[in-house]
Amino acid sequence: MLVLLILLPLLFGVAVLLRPPAAAKWWALGGTSLCLAIGAMLVGRFFANASPDVPFQAQGSFAWLPALGLNLSVGIDSVATLLIGLTLLLGPICVGASWTAIPQHRARLFYGWLLVLQAAMVGVFAARDLLVFYTCFEFTLLPMFVMINEFGSTNRHKAATKFFLYTFTGSIIALAGLVYTAWAVGTRATGVDGFTLDIATLTEHASHVLTAREQALVLLAMLCGFAVKVPLFPFHTWLPLAHTEAPTAGSVILAGVLLKLGTYAMYRFVLPLVPHAVLEHAPAVAILAIIGIIYAGLICWVQTDVKKLVAYSSVSHLGFCVLGLFALNSAGVTGSVLYMLNHGLSTGALFLLVGFMYERYHTRDMREIGGLGAKMPIWSTFMVFFVMSSVGLPGLNGFPSEFLCTMGAFISHTGWTSGAARHVGATWGPLGPWFGFAAGTGVIVAAIYLLAMVAKMVWGTLREPAVHHGEHDHHAGGPHLPVDLTAREIMTLLPIGVLCIVFGLFPTQTLIGAIESDVNAQVAFVHERSGEAPTEHEAHFAQQEHRQQRDAGRDEQIAGVKP
Amino acid sequence: MGVSMTTIMDAILSAAVAQHGGEAAHAAVAASHGVTGPLWIGLIPLLPLLGVVLVTLLACFNEKSKMPAWISVGLLAVSFLLTLFAYLGWNGHDAIHLKLWDWIGLSWGDLRGQTLAAGFAFYFDGLSLLWMLFVTGLACLIGLYASEYMEHDAGLGYCRFFAAFNLFVFSMSCLVMGDNLLMLFLGWEGVGLCSYLLIGYFYKKKSAVDAGMKAFVVNRIGDLGLLMGMLLTFTTFGTLQYDALFNQIHTGLTAGGTPLSQTWQVWAIPLLLMGGAFGKSAQLFFYVWLPDAMEGPTPVSALIHAATMVTAGVYLVARMMPLYLADPAHIALTAVTWGGAITAFWSATIAVAQFDIKRIMGYSTISQLGYMFAGLGVLATTGGVFHVFTHAFFKATLFLSCGAVMHGFAGQLDMRKLSGLWSINGFRVVVIAMLIGCLNLSGFPFTGGYFSKDMIIAEAFVTPDSVIAGSSWAGWLLLLTAGMTAYYTFRVFFRVFVGPVVYEPGEDLHAHDDHEHADAHGHGHGHDDAHDHAAEHFHPHGPKWAINLVLTLLSVGCILSAGLYFLGDHHGWAGGMVHASSAVVDTHAVEGGEEALLFGQPPHEIMFYISAVFGFGGILLAAWFHGPKGIAGLLIGGRTTAAEVRMDPIAKALRPISTWAVRKWYVDEFYHLVLVTPLKIFAHLFHWFDKLIVDGLVNFFGATPRVSSDAIGESTQTGVLHDYALRMVAGIAVVLVVVVLVLF
Repeated sequence: MLVLLILLPLLFGVAVLLRPPAAAKWWALGGTSLCLAIGAMLVGRFFANASPDVPFQAQGSFAWLPALGLNLSVGIDSVATLLIGLTLLLGPICVGASWTAIPQHRARLFYGWLLVLQAAMVGVFAARDLLVFYTCFEFTLLPMFVMINEFGSTNRHKAATKFFLYTFTGSIIALAGLVYTAWAVGTRATGVDGFTLDIATLTEHASHVLTAREQALVLLAMLCGFAVKVPLFPFHTWLPLAHTEAPTAGSVILAGVLLKLGTYAMYRFVLPLVPHAVLEHAPAVAILAIIGIIYAGLICWVQTDVKKLVAYSSVSHLGFCVLGLFALNSAGVTGSVLYMLNHGLSTGALFLLVGFMYERYHTRDMREIGGLGAKMPIWSTFMVFFVMSSVGLPGLNGFPSEFLCTMGAFISHTGWTSGAARHVGATWGPLGPWFGFAAGTGVIVAAIYLLAMVAKMVWGTLREPAVHHGEHDHHAGGPHLPVDLTAREIMTLLPIGVLCIVFGLFPTQTLIGAIESDVNAQVAFVHERSGEAPTEHEAHFAQQEHRQQRDAGRDEQIAGVKP
Repeated sequence: MGVSMTTIMDAILSAAVAQHGGEAAHAAVAASHGVTGPLWIGLIPLLPLLGVVLVTLLACFNEKSKMPAWISVGLLAVSFLLTLFAYLGWNGHDAIHLKLWDWIGLSWGDLRGQTLAAGFAFYFDGLSLLWMLFVTGLACLIGLYASEYMEHDAGLGYCRFFAAFNLFVFSMSCLVMGDNLLMLFLGWEGVGLCSYLLIGYFYKKKSAVDAGMKAFVVNRIGDLGLLMGMLLTFTTFGTLQYDALFNQIHTGLTAGGTPLSQTWQVWAIPLLLMGGAFGKSAQLFFYVWLPDAMEGPTPVSALIHAATMVTAGVYLVARMMPLYLADPAHIALTAVTWGGAITAFWSATIAVAQFDIKRIMGYSTISQLGYMFAGLGVLATTGGVFHVFTHAFFKATLFLSCGAVMHGFAGQLDMRKLSGLWSINGFRVVVIAMLIGCLNLSGFPFTGGYFSKDMIIAEAFVTPDSVIAGSSWAGWLLLLTAGMTAYYTFRVFFRVFVGPVVYEPGEDLHAHDDHEHADAHGHGHGHDDAHDHAAEHFHPHGPKWAINLVLTLLSVGCILSAGLYFLGDHHGWAGGMVHASSAVVDTHAVEGGEEALLFGQPPHEIMFYISAVFGFGGILLAAWFHGPKGIAGLLIGGRTTAAEVRMDPIAKALRPISTWAVRKWYVDEFYHLVLVTPLKIFAHLFHWFDKLIVDGLVNFFGATPRVSSDAIGESTQTGVLHDYALRMVAGIAVVLVVVVLVLF
C-alpha cells in the first residue's frame, strides 16, 4: 500500500503529461483524491492494528544491490502515518487552489511536478532505509524548484535558485553525517554484517559505536541539513523569499509538508542516532529555536508583504516545534509532532487565503490592500479563524501543540530545586523553566503580529489597488473570479477548518493517543542511550574486533566452500 | 415539562459522549470524591455553542431579520434555567463533577506528575454556581437588550454580533465551570477572543480595531503569567485538576513531599496567577485596555467589560484561594490587596475628570474590580465575591442606561452636551434605572453595593496588619475611594439625567443609521449636508420595549440583590456559596482578627455608618458642584446649562493636575514610549539585520565561487590537457596536506 502511494502519483504524473492540457487538472485532482482515499484507508488500518509492540507496520523491502548492502525498504510508525495523512490531504487541496491560477497551456508542467512532489514527500515519511529517505528528501527539491521558477511571481528565479542551492548544500552535509554513521555502524557494531543503510539497524547501534566527539560532529552535520530545511534561525533566509515567490500551491506544500521534512528528520535521525550529543547540545539548539520564535515574530510585525509575513511566522512557529523536540521529554516531543501537523494545517490555510486574495488583486502589499471585511466576508471569516488557530487559541488545533512544546521545555529539567523540594512534575531533560518562559513570550509576539495583520487586511476601511481584477479580465489568470470566495475555494478551506476544530477539541482522541506510545518509546530510548558514549579507545577496539570477526567469518565461509 | 426535557437532553448527550469519554469519565468519578452531575449540565455551555453554529448558518443564508437575536436569547434562557436547576438540585456542600471527554491528556509513566490529564470536564461548587447564575442570567437579558440596540445592523453585522456573543457565553462558562486550570485557560483565551471581536465590532473605525488589539495583546501579557503559573503548579503539585490540587495543598506538602512553606513556589505560583488575573481584570499595570474597550457596542461593554469577563481574574484568585493561603507570609495576598486598593483609587482619580459617561463607567469598573481584589486580599472572600455579584447587576444597569442614552442621541456620550433626560419623552425608565444603578455604585445605605462594599472595607480593618501588610491602610484608601466613587457617579447623574433639557446629537457610527431613520420618516436629505441638518431635525428616540423591559428587570435585580445579604447564616447568601467552595477562608485561623477595633467599635458594625458618611459626602459634593437648580439638585445645586458647572473654576485653578487627570495621567503615552516604540524599533532593526547580515552572509557564500571562478576563469582555461592535470594534482596535494594536518 505504501509503495502504491509512492508509485500512484508518479503514474498519474505521467498521465497528466500524456493527456491534453485541458485535462491536466482533472487528472491531477483524480490522482490526488485517489491517493487521499487510499491514504485514509492506510491511516485507518494502521490505527486499527496499532500496538506498542509493533511500532512499524506496512513494512516492505526490496533488495536493490545486496552486495553493497543497499535495499529499498519502507514502513510506517504512527508519526509517519500522520504526516503521510497530512501530505495526502493537502494534495487535492493544492490542486483545487491552483484550479484557475495556473494557465491552461502550462497546466501539464505544473500538475505533473505537483504529483511527483507528492510521491517524493510520501517517500520521505515512508522510508525505512537511508537510500529511500535521502533520495526522496532531495527529490522534493526538484519539483519545488520548477514550481517556483516557472510559476512564481516577479523575483522567482532568484528565489528558486536560492532555495535549491541553500537546502541542497545543507542536505549534502547531512548526507555526509548519515553515511559516516552508517559506516561506523557497519564497521564497529557487533552483529552487523557489513555496510547497511537500514534505519532500524542504524538506530539500534549508532549510539553504541559513535564516540562523544563523533556524535557531536555527526549532530553538527545533520543539523546543517535539517536546520536549513526547518528552518532554524539563522538558516532561515531562503524561506521568506521562496514562500513569497512561490505559487499558492507551492507555498502550501512548502509550509505544510516540506518544512516538516526537517523536523521529521530530526525526530527520526538526530534524536536516536546521536543521543549523547543531543543531550549535551540541546540547550544551544533550543536557544536558536527561541531566538527564532521571537526574532522572526518581531520581523513579521513590520512586514508590508502579507505573504512574507506568513512566511516569517512559519520560522517563528517552527521554533516551537524544534524546542519541543529538544526538550527530550514526552510532553515536548508529543507537542512537537502535533505542531508538525497543526502548523501544516493552519499555516497552509493562511497561504491559501493569501493566494485567493492575490488571485483577485495581484498584490500582496498591505499598504495597497486591506479592510476586506466588508467586501469579502467569507474570506475574512476564514482569515480570522485560521489566525486564531495560528495564535494558539485553546479549542483550536494550535493550542495543544504550542502548550505541550512550551510545557515540555518548562518541565524538562530534573535539577531545578529549591532546598529539598523535589519536583514531581518535572522530567528528565536538558532545558528548564526559563526556556519555557522565553518561548511563552513568543505567544505574545504571535498575538501582536497576527492581529496586526488582521487589523490591516480584514478590519479598517476598504483599500484596493488602483487596478484590480475587474479591469483586467484579459489577464492570463483565467476566468473572472467573483468578489468573495467561490464554492471551490471554500471547499479547499473547509476540510482544514473542520480538522482544526476536531484536533483542537479532541487532540487526545485523535493525535496524542495515536502517537503516545511511539513517542514515549522514542523518549525512553534517547534517555537510555544518552548516558554514555564509547570512548575513542573503545570505538577503535570495537572496529578492530569487528574486522577480525568479519575476516574470521569470511575465512570460515571460504573454508566451508573449499571442501 | 422541565424534567422530560432534561431527560431527552440527557439521552442525546450521553449518546454523544459514550463514544469518546464514557470510559474515562467513569475513571474520573472513581478518583474524585464529589458528586457526579447529570449530563445535562454539559448543555449549559454547549447550548450557546449551538447558538454560534445556528447564527453562523443564518449568516450564510444572509438572514436580515432579528432571528439571530431570538435564537440566542432563547438558548441563553434555557442555559440560565438549566443553571438554576443545577443550583436547586445541588446539595449545598459537595462539588458536582461532570467529565465529557479527555481534552489534553498524555502520560509518560505511572508515577505521580507523569500524567497530564485535563478533561473537558466541569466542576460545580458554590463559587462556580454563583458565577454561572449571573453570567447566564445577565447574558440572556443583555442579549434581549441587544436585539433592539443592534437593530440598525440587521444582516451580517447582526449575525456576527450574536455569534460572538454566544461564543462569549460558551467560553465564560468553560472558564467558570472548568474542572482544571487548562479548562479555565480555554475559557480564558476564548473570552479574550470574543472581547477582541466585539470591541472591534465597528471594524471600519480605526480606534475600535486598535482597542480590540490592545485588549487582546495586553491580556496575552497577563496570560503569560497564568501559563507559567500553571506549569509551575504542575511541576510542584503534579496535577492541574482542582480537587487533586486542593487535596495536595491541604496536606501542606508538595507532591514530592517537601513542606510547602519551605519552597519558593508557594509564593511564586500565586504571584504568577495574579499576573494573569490582573491582566484579565484590568488591574494595576494592565488596566489600560479596559477604558479603550468601551469602543465596543454598549451591550458588550455591559456584559463583557463590566459584569462578567473582567471578573474572571477575581474568580481565578478566589478559586485558587487555598494556594494563596498556603504561603505563611501571605506575600501574594498582600500584593493582591495593594494591587486592588491602588487600582481602585487610581482609576477613581481618572474617573472624576472624564466627560465621556461611558468611559467614566469603564473607569469605575476598574475601580470596583480593585475593591473585589482588595477584598480577596484581606481574606474577605465573601465580601469580594458578593461584590462581584452585586456589581454585575448594578454595573450592567448603569451601562445599559448609558447605552440607551447613546442609542437615543446618535452616539452622544459627552456630559457637557446632554442634560435633563428626565424631562425628555420616553426616557423615564432609563433615568430611574440609572438612579438605582448610581445609588448602588455609590454605596447608598441599604443597597446591594452598600453591603458588599462594606464587607470588604470592614474586613480590611479586621484583618491585622501583621497578616496582610498595611491592611488597615488599604482600608482607609478604599474608604476615600468610596467617597470619590459617590462623587463621580452622581456627577454623571446630576449633569445628564436631571436639570434643564439640552442636547446635541452625536456623530459616530450610529449617525448613518439615523439618516436612514430620517429617510424613513420622509425627511430625506442628501448625504453631504446630512450632518448640518441632523442637529436641527434631530429627535431623540426613547428606547422601545426590549430595552425598557431589560432595564426594569435589572433594576429590580439590583434592589433584590441587597436582600441576599440577609439570607443564610454565613454572612448572606454569597457567604453560603463561598462557604461551599474552595474560596472559603477560615477566619478563625487569622490570629488577632477577633479583637480588631475601629474607633472603639467592631469594624463590621461601625463601617455601616462610616461608609454611609463617605457616600453621602460624595453625593452632596456632586450635587453642589454639578447639580441643577431646584429639587433635582437636592436644593443645593446651581446648574442652569449643560456645559457650565461650579466645578469649572476649580478645575481651572488646578490646571496642570486637572488636565493630567483628564488625559488619564498620560499612562498610555508612557507605555507607548517605553514598551511599544522600543519593540517596534527592535522589529525594524531585526528586519534590517536579517536582510543585510543574515541573508547577506548567505549571499556572500553563494557569490564566492562565482566571483572567484570569474576572476581566475579566463586565464586558466587554456585548453591544454596537461595544464589541467597539473592543477588537479596540485589540488589533490592541497587537500591531502589539509587532511594530514587536521587528522594528525
